Amino acid sequence: MTTLDQKPARGEGRKDPWSQLLLKVGKNQDRQAYHALFEHFGPQIKYYAMANGLASHAEELVQEVFVSIWRRSCLYDWRKAAASTWIFTIARNQRIDMLRKMKRTSAEMPVETEDLWQIPGENDDEPVTSLHRLMSERRVRESLSQLPEEQITVIAKVYMESKSHQMVADELNIPLGTVKSRVRLALNKLKVILQDQNV
Amino acid sequence: MTRHHPDTLSLMDYSAGNLSEPHALCIRLHLDQCPHCRSRVDTLDSLGAVMMENQPQVGVSSDMFDSILSRIDSEPDMTEKYISSRTKRVSPLQKLLGEDLNALPWKRQLGDVSVLDISEKFPGQREQVVLQKLAAGGKAPAHTHRGDETTIVLQGAFADHKGVFNQWDFVVLNEEDDHKPVAVGCEDCITLSVLSAPVKLTGTFTRLLNPFIR
Repeated sequence: MTTLDQKPARGEGRKDPWSQLLLKVGKNQDRQAYHALFEHFGPQIKYYAMANGLASHAEELVQEVFVSIWRRSCLYDWRKAAASTWIFTIARNQRIDMLRKMKRTSAEMPVETEDLWQIPGENDDEPVTSLHRLMSERRVRESLSQLPEEQITVIAKVYMESKSHQMVADELNIPLGTVKSRVRLALNKLKVILQDQNV
Repeated sequence: MTRHHPDTLSLMDYSAGNLSEPHALCIRLHLDQCPHCRSRVDTLDSLGAVMMENQPQVGVSSDMFDSILSRIDSEPDMTEKYISSRTKRVSPLQKLLGEDLNALPWKRQLGDVSVLDISEKFPGQREQVVLQKLAAGGKAPAHTHRGDETTIVLQGAFADHKGVFNQWDFVVLNEEDDHKPVAVGCEDCITLSVLSAPVKLTGTFTRLLNPFIR
């Protein structure tokens, strides 16, 4: 992982190490960088698959996600999303795609998964806006650590286990309204904290 | 400029990948035109990334990276396909319905209203997906809604007691919304609506009860 020790070039200071690695994959098909990404994100994606009830296909999903990362890396734009956010959206889309394909043939799918769920920075004509996007992940990470556990639990079930609010309510044995208000509080707080920081 | 947006909970369900296909399409069409909501979804996608990072991690097989490499080496280079797909992009709506919404096989329903059921484009989904067209200047009869009805304006604009809904505006209506929309502006107003699974009674009393739950 020597790649991580290299000093960032001028103007690259805002890129996190994962985004720098992903750019190397995109620009030079750098396999060492690709391997470092695999070591870091592979186990996360495997857990994501298992939590989503894809236990017997978990490794298959990890493979699909990484093949997709390799192919699309040329489209990755660090100004539009941090690497981990970009990789999360690819994992999400591959999960949806896998479930769709288990249920029906491709002839039955006039709409492709990516017509519905977008990868940040792709199909996106708008000029590069913002540090806002780039910084959002860092801010989310900081804000999240300030949320009460009960709010994080609900959000984790929505994101990691694809549960509807009703399913979360049933599982935790609390009213639907409570689930929704916990989510709203958490999302408001994430936003409020952002505003307080004047971003 | 859109004024009516999806609520944050729906955007979170979209970001988490938990919406049905027709609901995701409504959100996607709105996002394509609304920088405000796109930036909310960016933050939510980052939330997903951080949640994934904070979960326990599970070791992968030791030979997996090698099999990924051999797959990459054996498959044709897809890079160009991705680059060209980005430059020649076709909106999901156009893919689904063709170029001219007005040329679709509309069915005149009553007065100024025409409809087209496109549920069969979403096989395996429980919702009913309908396009509705209100002729320019036309009025729809007063009505309420069964269950939740998610609507996005694809063309023109309509107005009701809650305000004016322009192209790409997003609105969710339910049983409590008794409204009487009017198409405003000089274009026909076309909307895409997703109706949550209607209540269906089966058995002996079906015919007897159905009129009362409409």
